[in-house]
Parts: sequence; C-alpha cells; structure tokens
Amino acid sequence: MKDISRKDFLKFGAALPFALHSLGLKAATKKNPPPQRIIFICSCLGFYAPYFFPGKREDLASSLYLKGMQTPEKMTIFGNLFHPGMDTSNHDSEKSFLTGSPSPESPTFVNGMSLDQVMAREMGGGTRFPFLNFSIYDRGWGISWNDRGSAIPPMHEEEKIFEMLFGEEDLRTRKLQLQNDQNILNNLHRDLAHLRIKGANAGKLDSYQAVIKELEIQLNHEKFWLNAEKPKVEKSLSDDPEFAFSTKLNNLFELAKLAFRTDSTRVITLSMDWIDGAIKVPGATGGWHSLSHHGGQANKIDQLSKIEIDTLRHFNRFLFEMDQIKEGNGTLLDHTTVVMGSNFGDASNHTCNNLPIIVAGGGYRHQVHTVLEKPTPLCNLYLELLHKHNIDKERFGSSEKDMGLLKG
Amino acid sequence: MKHRHVGNHICTAAIAWICFLTIVVASEANPAAFRKLEEAALVQFENHCFDCHDGETKKGDLDLVLLLGKDNADSSIIFEHLITAKMPPKNKKHPSAEEKKLMLNWLAQRQAGRARDSYRRISRHEFVQSVNDLLGVKLDLTGEIPEDRGTNDFDSDRRIKLTREMLSSYFAATDAMLEFALPDKGFTPERTWVTNKIKDSHATYNIYTRPYKEGILFSWTRANNGNSYSFFYDNFDPPVPGWYELTFDAMKLGDFPEDVSIEVFAGKYYYADDRPQPQRLLDVISLGNREIKSHKVTVFLRPGENVSVHCYSKHNFRQKNGNQGAYIKQLKVRGPVLDQWPPISYRNIFGNLPLKVPAREHLRVSTSHTNLKAIGGSVTVSSFQEGMEKERMLDGSNRTFWHTRFKPTLAKPPHYVILENPAGKAIEGLNYATWSGGNGNGQVKSFAIHLSEDGISWGKPLMTGALEIRLASEQPILFPEKTTKRFIRFLVTDAHSLDGRSLASIGKLDVMASLPVNDSSQVISVADPSPEKLRMVIRNFAKKAFSSSLSDEELAPYYTVGLQSLEKGGDFVTATKAGLKAILCSHRFLMAPGEHKNDSYKIAADLARIFWLSVPDNTLLELAEKQQLSARSIPDQVDRMLKDDKSQAMIHSFCDQWLNLRSFNKIAPSLKLYPAYNDLLNHYLPLETEAYLNYLIQENLPIGHLIDSDFSILNQRLAQHYGIDGVIGQHLRKVNFEPSVPRGGLLTMGSVLKVTAAGFDTSPILRGAWISKNIAGNTLSAPPENIEVIEPEHGKQAVTLREQIEEHKKSQACYACHKSIDPYGFALENFDATGQWRTRYRVKKPHGGTFQYRPKGYYNLAGNVDSSGEINGAGFQDVFGLKQILLSDHRKIAYNFIKKLFEYANGYQPDLVQRLHLYAMIPDKPDQCRIKDLITKTLVYSLTGERS
Repeated sequence: MKDISRKDFLKFGAALPFALHSLGLKAATKKNPPPQRIIFICSCLGFYAPYFFPGKREDLASSLYLKGMQTPEKMTIFGNLFHPGMDTSNHDSEKSFLTGSPSPESPTFVNGMSLDQVMAREMGGGTRFPFLNFSIYDRGWGISWNDRGSAIPPMHEEEKIFEMLFGEEDLRTRKLQLQNDQNILNNLHRDLAHLRIKGANAGKLDSYQAVIKELEIQLNHEKFWLNAEKPKVEKSLSDDPEFAFSTKLNNLFELAKLAFRTDSTRVITLSMDWIDGAIKVPGATGGWHSLSHHGGQANKIDQLSKIEIDTLRHFNRFLFEMDQIKEGNGTLLDHTTVVMGSNFGDASNHTCNNLPIIVAGGGYRHQVHTVLEKPTPLCNLYLELLHKHNIDKERFGSSEKDMGLLKG
Repeated sequence: MKHRHVGNHICTAAIAWICFLTIVVASEANPAAFRKLEEAALVQFENHCFDCHDGETKKGDLDLVLLLGKDNADSSIIFEHLITAKMPPKNKKHPSAEEKKLMLNWLAQRQAGRARDSYRRISRHEFVQSVNDLLGVKLDLTGEIPEDRGTNDFDSDRRIKLTREMLSSYFAATDAMLEFALPDKGFTPERTWVTNKIKDSHATYNIYTRPYKEGILFSWTRANNGNSYSFFYDNFDPPVPGWYELTFDAMKLGDFPEDVSIEVFAGKYYYADDRPQPQRLLDVISLGNREIKSHKVTVFLRPGENVSVHCYSKHNFRQKNGNQGAYIKQLKVRGPVLDQWPPISYRNIFGNLPLKVPAREHLRVSTSHTNLKAIGGSVTVSSFQEGMEKERMLDGSNRTFWHTRFKPTLAKPPHYVILENPAGKAIEGLNYATWSGGNGNGQVKSFAIHLSEDGISWGKPLMTGALEIRLASEQPILFPEKTTKRFIRFLVTDAHSLDGRSLASIGKLDVMASLPVNDSSQVISVADPSPEKLRMVIRNFAKKAFSSSLSDEELAPYYTVGLQSLEKGGDFVTATKAGLKAILCSHRFLMAPGEHKNDSYKIAADLARIFWLSVPDNTLLELAEKQQLSARSIPDQVDRMLKDDKSQAMIHSFCDQWLNLRSFNKIAPSLKLYPAYNDLLNHYLPLETEAYLNYLIQENLPIGHLIDSDFSILNQRLAQHYGIDGVIGQHLRKVNFEPSVPRGGLLTMGSVLKVTAAGFDTSPILRGAWISKNIAGNTLSAPPENIEVIEPEHGKQAVTLREQIEEHKKSQACYACHKSIDPYGFALENFDATGQWRTRYRVKKPHGGTFQYRPKGYYNLAGNVDSSGEINGAGFQDVFGLKQILLSDHRKIAYNFIKKLFEYANGYQPDLVQRLHLYAMIPDKPDQCRIKDLITKTLVYSLTGERS
C-alpha cells in the first residue's frame, strides 16, 4: 500500500456517505438512498397469547391487542418461533433473546454476541453512535451482549439519553488523547521508514504499516465526530408523574425515533425489563411480575391485559409516527426494521415456545400473520435479517437456515 | 519381504536415522542426488503402496501414483501415516527401517523450503503478560482485547494477522495499564475496613444465614432454581480499582469430616433473585478449622462491586436456625495494596532516578450500620412494642423491625418516627424498607414528612407519598430539596392492617446524606526532570520491551514522542508514559521476531515468550548482550525458566490451546441430568489438568503419564466428583490411586471429558476424533461433506447411538477413517458430559410449569454403556484396555506431543524435514522418554536448528 497524503487521509476518513448529510434532520439526499436501520424491542414478561395472536388467520381485527394498529399493512406477526435450549431457563431466557445461546440459567453460562451487536459492527460505522441500548429499569441486563459474552449496560434515564444525543459536551480531553495517538503513529511511521532503508523484513513491515494506516483512518473518523456539531432537536419528552411507567416507555420510543431521524445511530435495542414492584397504567395498578403469573385467573389476566395494551399503545404510536416521516421514496418506517417480541411464550408458566414476534417496517412485503408449520428457531429469522442487511453470515445462534420469511 | 511390525525396529532406528539425516542435508543442495533419492523411494512405494493405491484399485479413494506425481501436492498425511506406522496396514508387507527412511526422506525433501510467513504478531495474552511484567503491575485486561484465534489451534499461528481492531484495543489497553502503574492523579491512601454485616437478601434466602455469636453463620445455599445465591458484605465499597486483601476470620461448624468451602465473589449487589448481576469467582476458602482462624485472599476489585460469599458443602443445610456451615466472625479488608512504597512500577521504569515520594497514608474507614449514626443523629418514636424497639429499624437489616405498641394497650395514632440531625448536616431524603417476612400487618402505605428546628413546631408537611407494602427491598424517599433542619418527622398516615387496628411497623429507616469522602491522593514525581533523564528512561524500557539494545537513531522516534510531551506540558511522568506507549504499540514489540541486534537477543525473546508469555528478564538480556545463548546454554535456561513461577503462564496457555480448555465454558451441563455440577467444580476441573501437566514437566516424568498414571492432582471437590474418598480441603495436592480407579492421565480427566462432550451429552465421534488427533497422535482427514449429524437417542426402544455409529463398519469408505475415531469414543462412554463415571445412560424427564431445581435432578436411567472396541486388531473392554494399547507405542505419543509443542512455540506446524529431526530425537525406551527432556530438545532444535 503506497503512502497517502494527509489530505487524503482526512478525505477518506470524513467522506462517509451519510456523516455530513446527517447533521441536519434529513438523513437521505437525492444521490444516496436512505440507510437501513433496525430496532429490537423485548418485552421481558411476554404477552398473554390468546389476546395477542389473531384468532383468525390474516385478520388483525381478531386480536384484542393488535386490532387498533394504525400501520397494519406494514406488520407481520409470526407464530411458532422459539429458541431451543430454554426449557429450564425461566427468566434467564431474557439473556438469549437476541443471541439464541442455550442454557442461560447455568452458573457457568457464557453468552454469544447478540444480533444487534453483530449488525452494529457492520452498520455502525457511519453514525456518531454505532448503536444505542435503552431499558425501562435500572437493574436489568438489557438484551445486548458483546463478543466477550458480557451484557452491555443499557441506558434508562431519558434526560441523560437526550443530553448524550443532542446536548453540548466538553470533549477536550478526548481530543487531546487523539492528538497524542496521532503523534505516536507519526513517529512509528518514521521508525518503519528507517527500517526499510536498512532492509528489514519487508513483509512484516508491510503488514504492520497497513494496520496503522487503518488505525489512522479510525482516529480521523473519531476526530470528525468530535468536531462535528450535534443535530439540533426540540425536546419532545413528556413528563407525567401519575403514569411513570407509561411515560418512560413513551419517552424511550420518542428518543428512538429522534435518533433514527437524525441518523445518530442505526441500531437500537429497547429492553422492557420486568419490574418487581407495582406499576400504574390507565385502568390498572399492580405488580407486573405477579400479574404476569396469573395462573389462569380471570381478574389477574384482565389487569395484566391493561398493562400490555398500554405498552402496545406506545409501540403503535412509534410505528405510526415513524411512518409519517417522509424519507427518500418512502417513509422512515420503510427504512427501519422493527422487531418486537419476547423471550417468553407464556410468562405464567415460564415457557419459551411460540414466542410472540412482530416484524414491522423495513420495506418488506408484509404478510400480516405467518404461522410456521412446526416450531422453528427464531434464529432463522435473525439470520434472514442479517442477510437482508447485506451481512454475510452462514449461521447465527441456533439457526438452521434462512427461510426467506420476509419477502421483498 | 517378511512382515515386521515397525515397533521391532525401534532399537536401531534412532541411530540409523541420525546418520541418514546428514545425507538429507546433502541432498538439498544437490539436484542429482535428489533424483537418485526419488528413484529409490519410488521403488519402495511401488513395492509397498501402489498395489492398493494406484489409479485402478484406488483403496480408500486414494490414488498415490497420481498424488505423488504432482509437484506441489501436499504429502503431509502420507508422511504421517507412514511415520506412525498406520500404513501399510498390519496385514500387508512392511518396508524395512532403511526402506522406510528412504520413503520418508524423499517425501520430506520434495516439500522442503515451502514458504511460510517469517513473522507473527504476539497474542493478546503475551501482550498483557509482557506489559504487566514490564510495568511491574497485575492488571488483567485480556477481556478487553478481541480474541484472535479463529479456527486455528494456537494463538501463535502465523496465519493470524494483526488487525486494526486489535491495534486499537492495544492502544486503549496500554493507556489503562500505564495509568494503573503511574496514575496521573496519584495513589489513594491504603484503607482498612472491618465489617461483619451483610446486606439484605430476599426473604426466601434468609434461611441460609443468621446472626451467630459476633458475626454470621452461613449455611449451604443452592437456591431452588439452580442458581447459587451469594450474600453481599455491607460497609465495604472499593474506592478505586486495585488489589484488596480480604481476611475472613472464620471457622467450620458441623460434625462431618469434609471442609466447608466459602466461595468469594465480586459482583454488584442485588436484592432479590430476579436479576442476578454477573459475579466473578475470586477465590475459594477451605474451612476445616473448628476454632476461629484468619483466612487471607488477595483479589482484584473495581468500584461498584461488592464482595459476596456463598457457602458450599455437599451436605444439605437447608433449614432455619441451623447450626452447621461456615461461621464468619468478620471480614477485614485492606487496600488498595501495593507491593511496596514507592510501588515496584516506579523502580522498574525509572531505575535509580531520585524520586519525590510522599509518605504512604493509611486510613481506617469507620463503618456504622446507618448513615444516621455516621452523622451523629438519633431517633425517637411515638411508641414501641416490647421486643420491637426503635433500635431494630436502625440495625441495617430488614429482618428485624420496629412496631408501635399493641400490648398491653394499643397505642393510638399518630404513629411517627422523629430523626434528629444535631449537626445540621445536609440530608437529601430517607431510605425505607419494610420488615421482610410476616403477614404485612403495620406496613406503611402512605406517609408525610415534616421538618422542624426545635422538634416541637412542625408546620406544613414538606412532602407526602405512598410506599409499597409486601416489598422488602429499599424504597428511597427523595426530598424536593436538601434540608439541614435539626428534626425530621416521618409520620405514618396510613398503614396496612389485617384487622382494622391502627398499627405501624418499619424494618429499616435511614437518612440519605452525602458523607464526607476522603479523596486525598499521593503523587509520586521525578526529582530534577530533564530530557537526558527521559532519554535514559525510554532507552532502558525499550531495551527490555524490544529485547535488543538500541542505537541512538533507532531510539529517536520513541524518544521524540516523550520529548514532545515534555516540551508541551512539562510533566516528566506524563512524558514518560507517552514514550512508553509508543514503545508498547510499536511493531518492534507487537511482532515477532522484532528487530534484534544479534541472534542471542532473538533467542532470549523467543524463550521468554514461550515459557513466560513475556519479555526476557535481566539474566537473559545479559547473556544475549554477550551473545551467549546457544544450543549449549539453552537447556540450562529452560531449566531455570521452568522452575520460575512465571512458567505457570505457559502451562496454562498450552493446556488452554492444545487441550482446548479455552472452550471449557462453552457448554453448560444440563441441570436436569447433572444437578451436582456447580461453579466450584467448574473452577477446579481445568486447574487439575494444569497442575498435573506442571507436575509431569517439573518432575520430568516419562511421556506415558499423559495416557495413564497412578495419581492426579486433586482436591476435596474434585475427589468427590471422581468418587475418591479421604481427600479433605480444597487445596490441590497429589493423590495416588488404586489400579482400579480409571483416573490418571489426560484421557480420563474431567476437564478433557467435558470439553469433548457435545451439547447436553456425550458424542463418541466428537470425543473419539478429538482424543485420536490431539493425544493419541493419529492424523485424520477432514470428514466428507453432506454427512448429517446423528442425534443421540439413549432410550430403550430407540436404536442406540452405538448401533448407529457401528454402521460405519459396513462401509469401507467410512470405516477407513472411523476405525481411528469411534473406538476411542466408545472407550470413553463410561464418562458422562461432566467426566463422571457411569454405567448407564441418563434421559431427561419433562417438567410441568415453572422449572424448579431438584438436587436429585430430573432423569430416568436408560441403556447400559458398552465401552468395548478394537484398534488395529487389538480389542479392549473399556478405557483400561484402551490405555494399555496406547501405551504400547510411546513414540507415537511423544511425537504428537513434540509436534504440538513445536506448533505452540513457533506458530506453524513443523515441515516434514523438521518432523524427521523431531522424531529422531525420541528415545527408544519408554522410561527414558521424559517430558522435560523432550521439551528442551524440541526447543533447542527449533531455536537454533541444532541438537542439544
């Protein structure tokens, strides 16, 4: 690789397709198609299956929870998906929602890398934040796990998230650090040049030089973001002390929408961790965890359904508002894959079969309701999502194959 | 030609080989001689191989004539089959020793000189260990650096290239380690804490601990969902990342002979079992003493982590108010501890330069049960019931509580608690918790907060609020703004009542106050800094890091980095760090070989990397400077380096890679089938293997011990797992067995058996292939494509897995390879996926509803294990028989071991010429064939090309 001038470094590093354009509110320009985004939402206590799945095939109106959806033609509900290896996992199955690793309850469990992280690796380079993780509770694991098997702690405070995305920051220390690193690299170049003159092992020097050049590009990329202004966005978070749970969920969806719209990131996870104490939603107050273990009792199911309807109300609003934002040849929703589901098929029994999964947006040809013939690994769908985002992997988690479930 | 088993040639083979090798060298330079060799060799192939392996007969789908006719075909597999006597088969005519040598020699010659990369990058483990040794600290950041092995066996593999991601993480890791060694803001004082209080746990776990004498009695805690629950110590929070010395004053309670184990963890405190935050097992304390004794462990902790303990014993203590288990009187913590003052890192880096060193501060942290007490406050209550006084809500535990009076008379409302703040400290709020337990009577549902300066006139409430009942974790009550008022009244406006009586009860009540924190720090600096001193410091460090002395010109780039920092900011230590960072991210450090002034320096660097995963020490550097590292002096160094504790790094790394213990945690044994498998066992199984290999090497035992021996290195937990009695205490020690015990040697070690199991149960094929390739030394071709994996079915009706695998015998194509795979797997079927002995298979039972852990597991016993088989015509009944068969050819075992070691050390498999040399080094007699000798000879050869 021959030497490149410093001017070219800067050009190479800074001319990321959407970086410059995304400083405004529009993420797409005439020349470039809008980027693909993806968001994963996990409701860690699941949904009461008889109210969730449409009673009549293809007919959303026959689902108590989903009949009010405002973007029904851009949604597919899947039936008969599951993760193998969860039969004794109970709540630990949450850890494997986006990884598919079996036996998460074991004291010696080591998790795999979660789907959002695999995607962030490939898709995260063009935005200020390679990925974002949100949760509604400060104690959860979240659903995002890195390549070393550690949970990535999610953010749950809306104010702080807003500040991080759009607020001013003092980045002087980081800028100084970058400068020092660049200085080191310059001197390493000197040493390499000196060794070449002396005739040292060219293959070794070449391979090392190639790597430090790549590192310089990475440093320039970081420097670009440090110097770039953050997008200016009006604060649209709500504050309703009576329904704190509901408000937080609403705000987190709002932040996700803003993050996508300003192209601050392209990969988000939102973990609706289960809360041990009581929460209050319109129509019900109760312990979400204890209600979800209703044991079939009608009054508990009724209370539980109010909570679940509330969460889906926010989900619905999120989809609707994303669909109102025009972008390129379609809407922001058309360019964002939304995966909403749960690690539990039945939270009352702690079983993990027939998981409630919805895939919305993304520009696919949606089928409203797809029920697979036999229990199918959810990781097949995950593998397909990787392929749909041009990430070439042969397998993911417990996947068997890409079944082409999302057409178009 | 008469049939002669190759084994009979062993006596004369070695000598003949040595002579022949000189001819080998001559042939390389001489094309005419090579052609003669080729003709002679082909005659032998004609006589012994082509009958079965030509274009027509093509046995095993192999056309040797065609293959050997191609110039650049790889004949490694043919070579291996020939040298390990797999081919020709037993019932065919065999070449004599001379003839065989011809064939092997020709195969080696035609592939000699094939290109391989002449360099490699150092692995992340070598990086972290080297930097730790150079800086004189212990900070394990390997988890922060991406893994780089891919599908290769060894980290050192030259095909693995340095990537941007790796280099970027090396930059970050270097920053962290330099900051840890030479902190910008200085060192915090060393503190001491003493505590005997644990944080609240969910009520269901409270049967496992109780206050006892001056401390706490812990009993066995396997929770009902299989999780091991541990209890967090209160009043100790590590202020900075660092090493902390924990001293547990503890003793065992119970009439049984075994020790009770205290597992010490680090983790973030959590209240109930709903969200166990991941915990790290730090160490294990083995309690055998029945009088209080101090047990010390030194562990690494970060802020935000707490120390927690879990008491383990194979005996079940699950009972309220039990009197068996571990009694811990107190935990004393001292830290962050430094090896000396000023720390060794300053000596390592600045040498003898005069330093400005402030006196080391030591603080004792006072621990009180409540913040209220810490600010000098106190409490009065509206009334109390005898036995439920106000003190019980101030002891920091929700297991005791305060209650308003109900006997002999019922106290009338208002019910309240007044907290007094005599020093006028800033209070942000209150922390409240109900009593954990009981029927909920009296639990506060709503409250009002009033403030006062005199405790008499209260005015309007500051705030009102509601509280959860039936939830015993802490509920914070935040005031709208801080207050410094002298009196705070917590008024109960509504409480839960089962029978309508007016009652109130509180488990814990405390104030939220920011307590003053001592954040003093002691900065060490260099006296009279100057550019010359900086140059000297950087030169000394570079010499050790690069394993070479540097000229001024070579040093210039690294010195420049430091100088630029010095000229900009002025601080000597910061400038030093900049220069050191440049050194540690340089290709001279990250690539091997680096740029060495002479060959001895290169050998020094290689030796240090192989045995210590680190940089050379002063002894090696001195020898290198004098160019005294040669085939003659290396064996002494090997001896010295192996005796040094630092060689544990090599043992650990070699076992990790050769035996794939790195994947040890990839499979979690099913809780249904293996309910006794716990994290304690998981911790010790790999340690047994490392300790065993270490013992073999240090004692230079014969190579046969890899296959079989009459001892292993065990402790109490491992012995329980293997069914061996009489081993008390968790320290590892040599245990001899009776001949009837199948243990001893790598094949029957729990760690190896677990790592070779697939999924929830064992697969004879996977295990067999693994043992066959990695230990027995067979060479196997890749499996054919399009073969489906067979799922194990152990039920009585189903076709057994064994029967399914035996189908291999029906096909020549399958059996050609599988005869070297299946038998090994069958022999080991007596060992389940955790390495325990079994004679019958286990099948999972289904469960209904939420899964509840059962100590007896959920399984039925199914079919019997049949561990018989046959290798090369020799039959065996079980693993004992298999071991005898393997031991009959010690050269094959030794050859395999040597090849693995060579690959580990050099990053590529030895080529065929090198293999001939290596094979020739193996002694004829099994008891002369000793492990340390083999290691030494192999490394002398690979480092110098000579024989020792």
